[in-house]
Amino acid sequence: MTLKNCLVLAAAGLLAISGPALAESYGPFPVTVKGYGGDKSDSTSYTGQAARQVLHNSLKKLAGMGDGSNAAEIKSQMMAYYAGKEEGRAILDPKSKDDFVVLQTEVDQISKGKDLKGKTYKGVVNGWPRKMTGSEVIEFMIDKAATAKGGFDPLTGYDYPQLISKFAMGAVFYNQAVDNYLDEKLAANNKPNNKPYSEGKHYTGKEHSWDEGFGYFGAPAHALSLDAKQAYGIAKKKDIGVADYNKDGKVDLYREMTYAHAYYAADADKSGTNYLHTIFRAFLDGRKLITAAEGEALSDAQRAQLIGYADTIKTNWEQVIAEAAFKYAGSVYKDLEKLQTIVESGGDANDAFRAYGKHWGELKGFAMALEAGGKDLGEVGVRMNRLIGYGPVLLGGGQVIGIDASGDYVIGGNQDMGNYMVHMLKLQKLLAEAYSLSARKNDATAELENLIESLGESLATEND
Amino acid sequence: MFELTAQNLLADWAGQFLDPRKRLFWGYLGSAFLIALIWMVLLGRERPVSACRKLLARDLWCSASARADYAVFLINTILMGSIVPRLLGHAAVAVFCFSLLHDLFDGRASLLPDAPAWAIAAGFTLVLFVVDDLARYVVHRLMHAVPLLWAFHKVHHSATRLNPLTVLRTHPVEGILFVLRGALVQGLCIGIFVYGFGDRVSLVMVLGANAFKFVFNALGANLRHSEVPIRYWSWLENFLLSPAQHQIHHSENPRHHDRNFGVVLACWDRLFGTYCHSEPNQELRYGLGPAVADPHSLYTLYLLPFREGVGFLHRIFIRRWRRQLTPPLVPTDQYQSNRAIYEID
Repeated sequence: MTLKNCLVLAAAGLLAISGPALAESYGPFPVTVKGYGGDKSDSTSYTGQAARQVLHNSLKKLAGMGDGSNAAEIKSQMMAYYAGKEEGRAILDPKSKDDFVVLQTEVDQISKGKDLKGKTYKGVVNGWPRKMTGSEVIEFMIDKAATAKGGFDPLTGYDYPQLISKFAMGAVFYNQAVDNYLDEKLAANNKPNNKPYSEGKHYTGKEHSWDEGFGYFGAPAHALSLDAKQAYGIAKKKDIGVADYNKDGKVDLYREMTYAHAYYAADADKSGTNYLHTIFRAFLDGRKLITAAEGEALSDAQRAQLIGYADTIKTNWEQVIAEAAFKYAGSVYKDLEKLQTIVESGGDANDAFRAYGKHWGELKGFAMALEAGGKDLGEVGVRMNRLIGYGPVLLGGGQVIGIDASGDYVIGGNQDMGNYMVHMLKLQKLLAEAYSLSARKNDATAELENLIESLGESLATEND
Repeated sequence: MFELTAQNLLADWAGQFLDPRKRLFWGYLGSAFLIALIWMVLLGRERPVSACRKLLARDLWCSASARADYAVFLINTILMGSIVPRLLGHAAVAVFCFSLLHDLFDGRASLLPDAPAWAIAAGFTLVLFVVDDLARYVVHRLMHAVPLLWAFHKVHHSATRLNPLTVLRTHPVEGILFVLRGALVQGLCIGIFVYGFGDRVSLVMVLGANAFKFVFNALGANLRHSEVPIRYWSWLENFLLSPAQHQIHHSENPRHHDRNFGVVLACWDRLFGTYCHSEPNQELRYGLGPAVADPHSLYTLYLLPFREGVGFLHRIFIRRWRRQLTPPLVPTDQYQSNRAIYEID
């Protein structure tokens, strides 16, 4: 270990001791590249991923900004954040507010020349009509979102900000992490640890690959010092005190923000699970293992251990997405119940229908995200897609059943609301069993299970 | 999923006496003892010490019949621990019923939206109790009426001395039927009520047990399987079955056979013609009589029912099969006519 590395480790130790808690953070890690002569002392680097996190947040914001007359302008802006790499793109979300000041205002301040399209899932998405690839789905949705007022299409029930956001989180972040950085990039000859990631870089191939996976998860570097509620609250810009780890008075969108699936992991964890810390701990332990190799190629045993950490991350990450889909299936069920009551009493169903569309969009986005993990979901995927359908069941019983050659939605079918409620019940059961879920928020059959629990289970055979 | 470990077994055995949802909860056993003691002292004119001696008599609690009860209790816990988790559960029935109602009535119902939650809870608790009691009557009657089922239910009736643990003297096959009965009844009630009343449904409980069951158990349910012939007033026995009435159900006397199948309510027996009042100063012999040579052996308790059941099925199906294979006899007059037609000589 060089003198410089010793100093970095000592500095990291001091930072940890003087920080708000003694928990470990993801970085800084010393430079281990053999023969590195530059002035960098921290090998941690996932700025590209953090930049894509704010690109995603901003894209979602834009998807809800259509007013029916600015379609071309909105579409152009959305494409700039989805497919463009131009300089000067402002961060539309997260933005500073009075009691929560963020450090960066432009994407380039985090990382330059980044887009989302180039990293989007390239396989076919079965949950969307016409067998589109991941990026085709998002671009199709962007086109539709630009013409929808507030991003919502009342004729189909589609809420584009939710559909685009939840699917993009899966198609970009989840896909890149579990199907690339935690998969093929762990092979011995792919981005080896005894070489810099690329010529002149101060981090090794394995160090940076691992960091990139971590960056897509979206957790703040000090997540271990936060409980689920605090980590969740950072994404909601609630408490700068817990977000601002280095106490400079501003929240660094690179290292101190909660994004995407880390936010949903924290959301699930508020119900008693431990996804956020489990995934974070596996990332941290994996990074420590790579750092400890001190720039040498990883042995088979070390790689096997690293693959073990990767498996933990993949399994828990998939569960986080499935937990979110489960939660929104329960929301859709409740929305249908409310709609039924309003319709039966002859009330105004507009607000309830809007909420239904929002929750359905979240459900659909997460369900499609599960497909983007790069593994064949098999029967689970088929059943999930059939239960959800291509669109929410509308008040008249219709539903989007396809997209014609002109790109217009085809609405057909005649499904009862009651039957669609049963679909949501079956979907929750399917997800809970297929992914061994335990948070199970908004469980539509929780009342049944609570009553069964209160009756008690008996192995005894009391006779009469 | 239940795991068969020593810790789980001990927990389940102990749970029978520690869980207020179980008939053998120590509190219920204690109340049954007190009720029996008071009854013997006040009505039987026994001295308290003498009454206690009779209730705790060694020849009762250490009898061959009682020892068999204990063995069955211990063995069944092991067997049922492996079987029950694989059976159709309450949740499956409840969810199925709950889902089916959405389809049948297109959506979710909201019945009696203005009714207070306590009234819904009281209604649910009462309905669950009554439907469960009816289901117990029906299944119990079938266990006696269908020879194949009787082969297994006989295990319970083979007890020649009654003590509270006799309630668990049950063949595992019968135990499986009880579990399925419970899943069906409770699952249906829960599914229907939650569908109709949503989160207003809850169980009225005392010490974590269904309030009605708590009252039933606290008022001496364990005396049904005892040799203390506590009777109720005649008018009360028309509504609630007394311990003495259930003891009649266990009587060896053919005059008492197939009587008083009910558990708590007498109305089912009265409705279906199987009701029988208790008798003053009744002295009964329990068990199956001399027909069963060794009623307390493990062979009789566990294997003989299978043998008898297979024998029963054999008689039913083999005879039917043989009848189908044997050509029917040709009537004589038709035989003669055939001879004439074909000129057989």
